[in-house]
Amino acid sequence: MIWVENVLVSPGEGGVYGERMLKEYRVWDPYRSKLAAYYYLGGEFALTPDMVVLYLGAANGTTVSHVADYAGTVYAIEFAPRPMQDMVAVARRRNNVVPLMADAAQPERYAPLLEMADLIYQDIAQPEQVTIAIRNRIFLREGGRMLIMLKTRSIDTAEVPGVVLERSVAALEAARITVLDTKWLDPYHKDHAAMLCSIGPGPG
Amino acid sequence: MQSYWFGDVGENGCTPYQGGPEALAKRLDTIKISLGTFVPFDWNDAGKCSFTPNREEYIRKLRELCFYLAEAGITRQYESRDAELLQMVRTLDQLDDVSNVLTERALEWHRINNPGFSRKYMRLPKQKLLPMMKRGGSPAFRQIINEIENLASARTALMKEVSRRADEVVPNCSALLGGLVAARLVSQAGSLQTLSRLPGSSIQVLGARTALFSHMRGGTPPPKHGIIFQHRRVHNAPKEVRGKVARVLAAKLAIAARLDHYRQELAPEFIESAQAMIDNAGSAT
Repeated sequence: MIWVENVLVSPGEGGVYGERMLKEYRVWDPYRSKLAAYYYLGGEFALTPDMVVLYLGAANGTTVSHVADYAGTVYAIEFAPRPMQDMVAVARRRNNVVPLMADAAQPERYAPLLEMADLIYQDIAQPEQVTIAIRNRIFLREGGRMLIMLKTRSIDTAEVPGVVLERSVAALEAARITVLDTKWLDPYHKDHAAMLCSIGPGPG
Repeated sequence: MQSYWFGDVGENGCTPYQGGPEALAKRLDTIKISLGTFVPFDWNDAGKCSFTPNREEYIRKLRELCFYLAEAGITRQYESRDAELLQMVRTLDQLDDVSNVLTERALEWHRINNPGFSRKYMRLPKQKLLPMMKRGGSPAFRQIINEIENLASARTALMKEVSRRADEVVPNCSALLGGLVAARLVSQAGSLQTLSRLPGSSIQVLGARTALFSHMRGGTPPPKHGIIFQHRRVHNAPKEVRGKVARVLAAKLAIAARLDHYRQELAPEFIESAQAMIDNAGSAT
């Protein structure tokens, strides 16, 4: 990852969503992007140019554009039509982004369009977020990683965020997905946790 | 053998599909997949296939297809007949808000220069109040009053359009509720499809969120009606039977919404029997 004067940046053509530029680089704001926050908080999983990334919950494509600056190919999945319009515009300007309008909860609908990925990144504010991640594990290459941005308040508004995280970790482990590291994204994003996972052998 | 967007891959090589994005999209629709047995395509195995010379070409073709699919998907979502109705009715309600806020402010302004202005004028209808305020105001003030009047006429035009559109898009709900309230119901539910999947009991309290949640947290009585209160048969009903009328109306609306969504045409015999039942609920004591 590239840092300029302690500011996380990404190399690429600017002007995607009005981001600031710093010495030819695009500033990646941790308050806007959970992935940027993950790196600011010492996240070690780095994006590399040979990576194929499956991005679930691409929204307007702001984080997608930064991921695409680092990674090889990004498959960006988003369901809602309005953010999808913005995402398509982002994808048009980056020829390593493949936009897919589909429901991440139904991988069988878009499976023929995908390929094996080195990273599955998930940022979906849904109660069944973890189940969705598990359903998408078939696209993960052996030795690949899953990075889940857990929005605890979407999973259970009333429960203590720590408990929600524990339950989510347990659910992942039950599906033989090993949680390597968890990180709270405070102070950038409240009640959000990043979970870095790897998959074990066995059925999905 | 496994089917992918570009073709079939089997034991002995692969068969590429031919054609542009449109043809590929059509074919994609026919591919049925079970997650248990599906093996995702792996670029490392691409050597087995001679369908495309290199990765750049593969991604270029895939992107072409995906842009086509995404744009078709977005159009399909927006084409649903209720999408525009929804924006229209929300604009209408927002016009009301804006016009009320501006009128209140102009009134405060007007009072400063007219010490004789008293509460009795506040009860005047807007159409009379505004011209009265306009007399003797400064040029900018008069211009603002003119704008408020323009907003009012835009609102009237929009309201007619909303009713007309609602009669087309949700004919059965409109027949029971009137176009405007029916449109608000769709707007509150989010879409006609969502509305058609709601049970009558949810439709009954749609738009009474605060009351409903304060009831669920405990203490307060449950709301009898949400948006459907705006319908005359509910708000004109005697207080004792108002809840009953709302309940029967909501139950019939649940059916009407399903007719609107799936049949997309007026069902006169249903409307007739439903009207009778709602009237009956109002008159019975």
